[in-house]
Amino acid sequence: MKLYLSFFFLAFSYNSFTQPNCNYFLNEGDTLKYEACLQTENAKGHYQFSKEYQIAMDKAIKIDPTFAYPYRAKSVAYLKSGDFIEWKRLIDLAVKYDPLGNLGYRASCRYQFFRDYGGTIIDIEELLRISNADIGHSANGNYHLQVVRALCYKALGRKQKAIDLIETQLQAEGYVIGIYDYIHLGVLYLENGDLSNAKLNFKKQQDYNDLAENHFYMSKVFKAENNLKKAKIELQKAVELYEIGYVMSDPYVHPVDKIFWSMIKVEQKSLN
Amino acid sequence: MNKILMSFLCLSIGMFSCNEIKDIEKEPYLRWVGDIQFDEEIDNPDFKLCYTDNNVRQYFNFSKGVQYKGEKPAIDKYFLENYKPTESKQIGFLRIRFIVNCKGETGRFRLKGMGQDYQPMAFDKSITDQILSLSKKMDGWLPIEMEEMNNTPWDYYQYLIFKIDRGNIIEIMP
Repeated sequence: MKLYLSFFFLAFSYNSFTQPNCNYFLNEGDTLKYEACLQTENAKGHYQFSKEYQIAMDKAIKIDPTFAYPYRAKSVAYLKSGDFIEWKRLIDLAVKYDPLGNLGYRASCRYQFFRDYGGTIIDIEELLRISNADIGHSANGNYHLQVVRALCYKALGRKQKAIDLIETQLQAEGYVIGIYDYIHLGVLYLENGDLSNAKLNFKKQQDYNDLAENHFYMSKVFKAENNLKKAKIELQKAVELYEIGYVMSDPYVHPVDKIFWSMIKVEQKSLN
Repeated sequence: MNKILMSFLCLSIGMFSCNEIKDIEKEPYLRWVGDIQFDEEIDNPDFKLCYTDNNVRQYFNFSKGVQYKGEKPAIDKYFLENYKPTESKQIGFLRIRFIVNCKGETGRFRLKGMGQDYQPMAFDKSITDQILSLSKKMDGWLPIEMEEMNNTPWDYYQYLIFKIDRGNIIEIMP
């Protein structure tokens, strides 16, 4: 069930980030933004990729070129279609006119769609600098931005820094665990040769949101401990979960640490 | 005058680079962002859609991720084994977008390159030619279908993004 909920949230979050309440601008006395905001409502019911949607947002921008929302709304279709240049031009304008509201979003998209590790870190650290509150989650809702930051440091070879960031985030007051947090942390420990902490995190993931990846990497831990019997049992569990679709998933990209059939086959061969 | 200059530039850089520049140019809105219209100058006329241009979907409409025989590792392996690193100082991203029809055939390839600063960049021909040619030869794309639509296979847009570092492919997305 948790898995289905995460799919739903993921699919939903990209398509409908919060439409601003236009009356807010009216109450603030910003009639220009109020008019622009009303114009964006004409995009309702149109697909984000469609010309009708794009034109409605263009008209809002024409009314108030400093209104961040329509830039971000327009940018989504370019992001999903792989047009990084137009996406970046638009999202940069959204960040310019509302950095607090858009820096975290830009950061997580840079990570998720383009694996732009350095750029993502710069954005998140800038957000940390200007924000007095929790910096929030990735665009798809799967990760806290500190975890995204950690995964970028991992990709740049700084694994201990990545571990420290995730461990710190897990201990933050009121933190709601991300659906893949323990898998990523477990894999980081595994790669660092800390088998005991790797095992601990895979057990936590099993209790929270059990996925094929979790057992696949647990199998690797047992293999490293030379316990081939348990390694085979864990790998078999990975196969069973893989077959029913309990895997790390993202309709747009391949999540880091996701496993594939070919990886399972290689492991099976190594255990026989 | 501008058109003459652009034509000269395209001709001098070569067909594929021209393709890249063409894609960077601002287009009036089509049906959907990223739609690729047939261009008789660069597109293979033998590639046919199963339906009409208005029925081409997006890769993510099916929520199944990339549909390729052998999954993502097969894509990585294919380019790792067949792409030959070249002498180049360029660092950036190269995107190739195309259509997969309902039979798993591909066509209407379009390139777009950018530097690390997300600004347009024309990659060396030794890189673009290889990636374009290899992408056209990929034969593992699978038609995708939606349960909600009687599992009918549809035509869809797919893209690959290559992270290029001095003539080497260092990462492929999605």
